[in-house]
Amino acid sequence: MLLVARKNLFSERIRLAISVGGVALSVFLIGILLSLFRGWSDQVGGYVEHVPADLWVASDGTTDFIAAASALPNSLGSQLALVPEIETVSPLIVRPLEMRKSTDRPDKTFDVQLVGYDPLVGLGGPLAMKQGKSPPGPDEIIIDNETARRHDVKIGDRLTRGTKSLNVVGISTGGDFVFTQAGFVTIETAADFLDVSPKDMRTFFAITLKDPSHTDLMAKRLTLATPGVKYITPQQFASETRDRILGNILPILIVVLIVAFVVGLAVAGLTIYTATVEKSREYGILKAEGFTNPFLYRVVFEQSLITGALGFAAGAGLTLLVAPFAQDAVPQFVVFVRWQDILGVAGVTLLMALVAAYIPIRRMGSIDPVTVFKG
Amino acid sequence: MLSADRRVILQLEGVSKVYGSGELAVTALREATFRVYGGEIVAVMGPSGSGKTTLLTIAGALLRPTKGRVTICGVDVTAMNESHLAAIRRERIGFVYQSFNLLEALTALENVRVVLQNNRTNGKAPALERARDILEVFGLGHRINSLPKKMSDGEKQRVAIARALAKDPELILADEPTANLDAKRGHEVMDLLRQKALELRKAVVVVSHDNRIREFAQRIVWLEDGRLHEDSATPLV
Repeated sequence: MLLVARKNLFSERIRLAISVGGVALSVFLIGILLSLFRGWSDQVGGYVEHVPADLWVASDGTTDFIAAASALPNSLGSQLALVPEIETVSPLIVRPLEMRKSTDRPDKTFDVQLVGYDPLVGLGGPLAMKQGKSPPGPDEIIIDNETARRHDVKIGDRLTRGTKSLNVVGISTGGDFVFTQAGFVTIETAADFLDVSPKDMRTFFAITLKDPSHTDLMAKRLTLATPGVKYITPQQFASETRDRILGNILPILIVVLIVAFVVGLAVAGLTIYTATVEKSREYGILKAEGFTNPFLYRVVFEQSLITGALGFAAGAGLTLLVAPFAQDAVPQFVVFVRWQDILGVAGVTLLMALVAAYIPIRRMGSIDPVTVFKG
Repeated sequence: MLSADRRVILQLEGVSKVYGSGELAVTALREATFRVYGGEIVAVMGPSGSGKTTLLTIAGALLRPTKGRVTICGVDVTAMNESHLAAIRRERIGFVYQSFNLLEALTALENVRVVLQNNRTNGKAPALERARDILEVFGLGHRINSLPKKMSDGEKQRVAIARALAKDPELILADEPTANLDAKRGHEVMDLLRQKALELRKAVVVVSHDNRIREFAQRIVWLEDGRLHEDSATPLV
């Protein structure tokens, strides 16, 4: 039966191309949007997750790393350092701000997530250096590679905010949050540059434990001991950051994914339906020759599945082809293609093919073989 | 002319067909009683609208009669369900159509092969081999890989007859097989159909309003306003 399905399908090349093109476009759109979401998710929570801390300490009610509304006294860090189970305490000042190259126009600004850390502890500083020196000295900043790429910032440039400026001494990786990037300075530079008041206020503490296997227990104990302060694991904090930043995008993304699915379904369904209607006389002949409905339904299913398979191959291929170059064209287009997502898209395509065959199958069931004797 | 064997292949007993109901009811066939024997070629002739197609589709297990009984190869098909009727059509009946009705996307060989593949009782030879052989017999060996659109009407009708005979049915039903052919091609096609049907001892019913069909039939039945009349001038040989 595959012979009739395949021959009918390939005899109308333009229609097949439209049908496969529709499915491919849908698969590409679904694939690239899923990869984009994965890419953003990876980037947005990546820094928090990869800082080698066992617990992040923030003031209660803090929702994420990037908005960073947390405010803690430095004395909390001193108290935590006295806890025998705690190995390291690293105070951090984190705040989003706009900066510009001193040589650029005043309106040509970009966002930087300024992270002030203690170079002697190191925890919360640059994850990996690409170029230049680390740690930074007074009034020096290490920028993220993505900041350097997007805004053409080089080592030796000065970044300004108001009347203050910082000298770029290094370029690091792992601090890209898609919408903004980390810029690392010493905690003293951060306090001075941001005019932190009172001077001993900190945003977070990153701590490591002597025995990391007791992280949850320690978090509970510390929460009880210091009311108004929350202790969360890097994974939880990364997840909260992702939810906060991507939570508003997700519903839009879901709507676009549904639209992409419906477009693919409509194109495949309509072309297969048109093909079925056009060939209804031939299906009538087959019925007259003794082919039963289930046999003929297979023809439609097979046509639909072949269309789906070709569309998936083209769409997934296009996704894999475009993905590596997407960020070159649009810096925010950070994609991360996972084989699990491609497998999921294959499942969606299969569903698309099965649903697209439904109406043509109903049409086929109603074909009366007697009509082939008329004219 | 070869004589028919006495095995009844098709039998219609008091068959009527009414389309619609009430005041809109149209009677297409009235109390038709009719027998066709193996090795016999019967022409059913009549003007347009006389009920020829209705008779053919009822005889072909495609349409259920309103009244009466239809027996094909001794099997009463009157009250059979669709899947059993499909099996009867698949195994016992070959159709030849007015407009050839070949599948346009398939080559001559594939058109014959696809019907053979569907016929599970036909295990005599692999479908491909058998399809090729029968097309050779019909003088279409050079056309096996041609699509219908590349063939002449005469060739298409020969492929259609090859397809009808390929599955070795006992009954061949032909609907206006010469209507779309010129006189020469029509004569060739009918001659071929008669020759093969008689050689293979098939029962053949040819429905037509073309008078040229008469010379190929052993018996002629007239149909007018849904009523059958045996032509006494051409008795069963």
